[in-house]
Amino acid sequence: MINLQELTKDYGTVVAVNKLNLSVSAGEIYGFIGPNGAGKTTTIRMMGGILAPTSGKIIIGGLDMAQKPAEAKKLIGFIPDRPFLYEKLTGMEFLQFSADLYNVKRDTFLEKAQKLLQQFDLLDWADELVEAYSHGMKQRLIIASALLHDPQILIIDEPMVGLDPSAVRLVKDILKELAAHQTTVFISTHTLSIAEDLCHRIGLIHKGTLSAQGTLDELKHIANLGEAGLEEVFLTIIKENTFI
Amino acid sequence: MNNTFLLLRPRLISAINSMRPRNGKHNWPRFFMYGSLGFVFWTGTFIIFYRVLFYFQSIQDFGNILAMKLISMLIIIFFTLLLFSNIINCLSHLYLSQDLPLLHSLPVSSENIFSSRWIISTFDSSWMIVAFSFPVFLSYGLIYKTGFSFYLTFPVTIVFMCLITSALSSILVLFGAKILPAGRIRTIIIVLGVFMTLLLILVLRLIRPEQLVNPDSFASVVLYLNSMQTPDSPLLPTTWITDIIKASLNGEIKNCLFNIALTGTCAFMLIFISNMIARLIYFDGFSKSQTTSKRLFAPVKYKGYNWESLLSFLPRESKAFAVREIRTFFRDSAQWPQLFLIIALIGIYLYNFSVLPLDNLPIKAVYLQNLFSFLNIGLAAFVLTAIVARFVFPSVSREGEAFWIVQAAPVSLKKFLWIKFFLYYVPLIILVEFLVVVSNLLLRVSPFMMFLSTITLFCLVPAVVGMAVGLGAVYADFKSENPAQAATSFGGLLFMVLCFCLISTVVILEAGPVYSIFMADLRGQGISLLQLTWSVISFVFAFLLCLLAIFYPIYLGEKKLRIR
Ligand SMILES: Nc1ncnc2c1ncn2[C@@H]1O[C@H](COP(=O)(O)OP(=O)(O)O)[C@@H](O)[C@H]1O
Ligand SMILES: [Mg+2]
Repeated sequence: MINLQELTKDYGTVVAVNKLNLSVSAGEIYGFIGPNGAGKTTTIRMMGGILAPTSGKIIIGGLDMAQKPAEAKKLIGFIPDRPFLYEKLTGMEFLQFSADLYNVKRDTFLEKAQKLLQQFDLLDWADELVEAYSHGMKQRLIIASALLHDPQILIIDEPMVGLDPSAVRLVKDILKELAAHQTTVFISTHTLSIAEDLCHRIGLIHKGTLSAQGTLDELKHIANLGEAGLEEVFLTIIKENTFI
Repeated sequence: MNNTFLLLRPRLISAINSMRPRNGKHNWPRFFMYGSLGFVFWTGTFIIFYRVLFYFQSIQDFGNILAMKLISMLIIIFFTLLLFSNIINCLSHLYLSQDLPLLHSLPVSSENIFSSRWIISTFDSSWMIVAFSFPVFLSYGLIYKTGFSFYLTFPVTIVFMCLITSALSSILVLFGAKILPAGRIRTIIIVLGVFMTLLLILVLRLIRPEQLVNPDSFASVVLYLNSMQTPDSPLLPTTWITDIIKASLNGEIKNCLFNIALTGTCAFMLIFISNMIARLIYFDGFSKSQTTSKRLFAPVKYKGYNWESLLSFLPRESKAFAVREIRTFFRDSAQWPQLFLIIALIGIYLYNFSVLPLDNLPIKAVYLQNLFSFLNIGLAAFVLTAIVARFVFPSVSREGEAFWIVQAAPVSLKKFLWIKFFLYYVPLIILVEFLVVVSNLLLRVSPFMMFLSTITLFCLVPAVVGMAVGLGAVYADFKSENPAQAATSFGGLLFMVLCFCLISTVVILEAGPVYSIFMADLRGQGISLLQLTWSVISFVFAFLLCLLAIFYPIYLGEKKLRIR
């Protein structure tokens, strides 16, 4: 469903992403981990069609992001790392806005929106302006709006920052269920425990290049570690890379 | 005190950093633009004041009275402007800036935060007015052939005036924040906007500029102005400031020094008082301002029907954008004062046409009416440019950090920009055509002029709006804390200069043909073939220019947003 070919982003000052090749198939949850400044957000913004790559290709559900951006974006639910929203709209108005943009069926919209707001514990806040929401509430609203149009692909940048434990559990459950129904999930995270018990496959990005990729067991093998957690694997691979 | 200056450092350092070339792009076009615009305004002010004062000197009895009257009026205007801009700047620097929570978490007293912010706010609100008071007073100095001391006293006086107004406004704002209910602090801006609008209307009603056109009443206007010489209250700082300037123009050293001392002590006393008040209530007010207010209009429970259903004829995406834009616009109370001002501006605009003494003008009326009508095209277009610069140009920047929503949405940037274009184009074309038709009716112009005005503006409005949307996208600043200020940024100024060029070019292109057609009409002759071809070529050229101004900037804007 997702296919990145030789994806490169050069900011002029740094090459944030360097010839990245990666593919994720339908129904898979792909975890994207790496230290701060590794290029995760840059990659994700390019996949969401928010940033133009310097070179390389992004294929989303068979559609080239550079050729058919509007069609490709229709397939995506995008959740950025920082929850910037229209402060002067209410939660419900925002959902209505994104439903209109993604062409959600009108007759099912209200029911669906209310169900999502209920799920994310925002129903009482539906008619309040977003500027009065807390950081976590904004993030929950964004996740709700990304799920509104039943995307085939979810692209998520560090979703758990600012969420409370119950919301983290909720998001994990939702993602697992969506993946079971053939939704592709691409998720970048710092929280290794989440990557460990959520993701089918994990990619480790460091200084803009993919250092290692595979299931948890495969990664342990690569790092030559027997019974270690992802944290050990992460630190080992990063360290080896810096020595090279 | 040390802490106060320490807190000023980030501001200084960012100012220096912003001069550094970014990503290899140099800043010289920016400097050139600001420099030349500043120079034009500066010399323009100087020349106008010098000419006016020179003219006053030549009027025997009234000249000096008028010059002195002008001084006291100027001082009052400067004082009021300083007061307003200080209130707005104080409000944002003390209560609304985004870095304030960080500042308040630092181990410094709230008094230190107050003083550092106060210094920045004073500087921000005064530098422009100070800069433009220089040519005014320079021309006074030259005309009155004052000694060197005048050039010393007046900068000191201006600085004192800035300090007084800024201390006064900070006291006002401090109390406002303390008294107003939580989250309501922005209402100060709205109240201020209404107040300013009323003041503007009042002043224009009192001055009655149309009277100066009429030679019969000119002398009586001067007499009238003179009779207004009510002795100014000796308790007001403006009186002292006026007295300083007058005394030093006339070389009365003692009087001058006395008033300088008076103004200076007043300034420092007010600064001291404002610091004391800040120590007591600044933090209270700040923590209150952190609350989001209840809406002024209670939220409407979600319903299937609303005013939005009026827009149902639009395609779904366009309607979504339109509804969002209208909602966010009107819910942002920072926009309201500007709206009041525009309504006042339009009222005054039409009012001025209605009071023009068309019947007792010395020049032949038909000619003048149609000349006015022709110039009115340009005037209406400039009013339009001012409105557009304030509301349409910043509209892409207003998306702010939430722009990712549009970027991630399955809508092309081209469509996004065109939706914005039509959203502003429709109300503006109605407004401008209304203005022109009504003012032409008031002028009782010929049908040809009526036709020409409506057609020309029908082409100019989309051109100006298109340039605003396009250049607004090219120079979009999504990180700006106050996108409304985009109008005075580099891109905003460039937009205004380009609009000025476009409008002048179109008007000049039309002037020749219109004159010949009009004169031929007056003489009852037809126009020659040569004149006809010339006219057609001019009009077609003007039309093509407008088309270019609609499409090319939007194309550029889309390209710029895409590679961002
Ligand atoms: N707008 C930008 N301009 C220039 N450099 C940037 C920009 N955004 C990110 N970078 C640089 O790109 C690199 C990758 O950043 P990012 O993708 O945000 O990392 P991550 O999300 O993995 O922490 C960093 O070195 C960062 O400094
Ligand atoms: Mg990141």
